[in-house]
Amino acid sequence: MITPEEILARVKQLPTLSAAVARVAELARDERSSAADFEKVIRPDPALTANLLRIVNSAYFGLRTRAESVRQAVTLLGVRRTSEVAAAAALAPIIPGRLPGYQVEAHALWLHSVAVAVLSERLSGELRVKRPDLTFTAGLLHDVGKLAIGAFVEGASAEILARVREDGLSFVSAEREVLGVDHAEVGGMVSEAWRLPQAVVDAARWHHRPGEAPTRADRTLVDLVHVADALAHSLGMGTDIGEMARTVDEGTESRLGIRARCLERVAGESLDEIRDLARQLTPSGGNR
Amino acid sequence: MSSLTVDISDIKLSAEPDDLIVTYALGSCIAVMVHDPVRVAGGMIHYMLPLSETSPEKAKTKPAMFADTGIPLLFQSMYKLGCRKQDLVVKVAGGGALYDDKGLFSIGKRNYTILRKMFWKSSVIIKAEDVGGARSRTARLYVGTGRCTITSQGEETEL
Repeated sequence: MITPEEILARVKQLPTLSAAVARVAELARDERSSAADFEKVIRPDPALTANLLRIVNSAYFGLRTRAESVRQAVTLLGVRRTSEVAAAAALAPIIPGRLPGYQVEAHALWLHSVAVAVLSERLSGELRVKRPDLTFTAGLLHDVGKLAIGAFVEGASAEILARVREDGLSFVSAEREVLGVDHAEVGGMVSEAWRLPQAVVDAARWHHRPGEAPTRADRTLVDLVHVADALAHSLGMGTDIGEMARTVDEGTESRLGIRARCLERVAGESLDEIRDLARQLTPSGGNR
Repeated sequence: MSSLTVDISDIKLSAEPDDLIVTYALGSCIAVMVHDPVRVAGGMIHYMLPLSETSPEKAKTKPAMFADTGIPLLFQSMYKLGCRKQDLVVKVAGGGALYDDKGLFSIGKRNYTILRKMFWKSSVIIKAEDVGGARSRTARLYVGTGRCTITSQGEETEL
């Protein structure tokens, strides 16, 4: 079992997601925000600016004019999109070369994060649910807890895997049983420490158990990330040691009104987008 | 020796005896591996979904995404290399599933069902298979010998 103090210490040691991400997410929700406001927040971080422009100008967004500045990016893409791109641009540099405990390489975690972001968004369009704010960002950052507890998982991996193989537990349940905490709960703590919007914190915290999310949470968003995460793993996008040992929340299907064929359509339509977007940035610890 | 990697929704073929054809992270997707010991050639598809009617537009640009458009393409491509149907040895891997009682994530099962139907209709016999379960797999086909291996949960087995 890990103590809360040990986890908090580990969360503090993590490289921080650029503070600009939390601030642009706030700006995106304020109708009075201008392109100049965005520029003021993002431009002081040169690496973030460069990564953001690289993604903005990728085929994924299909812009007719090349954006040369943050201000132009906001004009061309809008505030919401730019804020999502900023989250992606900030995540890539903090992914380590190899994530201990999950036996996953940097590229695979990056691909998985991008896949869940794109699939969450596609699903919300396909289901015609009211598209929750921050769907892309919440999908992108759902697994940040793994960055903090990887070392603990590695220390207990034999026991965790034994619970998966012998007792038929899902990987996340085995984490909880052995460590007393799971990567989703820690993900909530990490995104809180990074001062991300509450919706993003809730999605990270409850993405394996959307049915148990508190009433204040945007359950549609949590359900979307839950399904997108399962779909990405099912399709082999960023498979880690937890593999396919995961459960699907019983209530998600009826809450979202989702069908198996819908998942297949979303998967087919999203593959190229996921690859295009993931190719734009290389996680700091990875090369491919 | 070159190692040819088959991406999701992709086909790779080789008639070079030293080549290895490999695909990683087969979850609910399925890999069909075809080997011709007479012509000494091999081919592999890694398809993602059962039916092209799901996204007809995608099927035009990426036929290997679907079982019903990709598998015929794999076989036709082998014939173009000079292979004959009666010589082909066919093996199958993947089609995994999550712990999902309600069957929302039935992609792996449907991928396999369609494959069986297609093979039954065209009298193709599966020599060996490793399908289903909550497992992710990496499949390898050695072109020279037709040897197939599956790696899953850290263990390699012969198929």
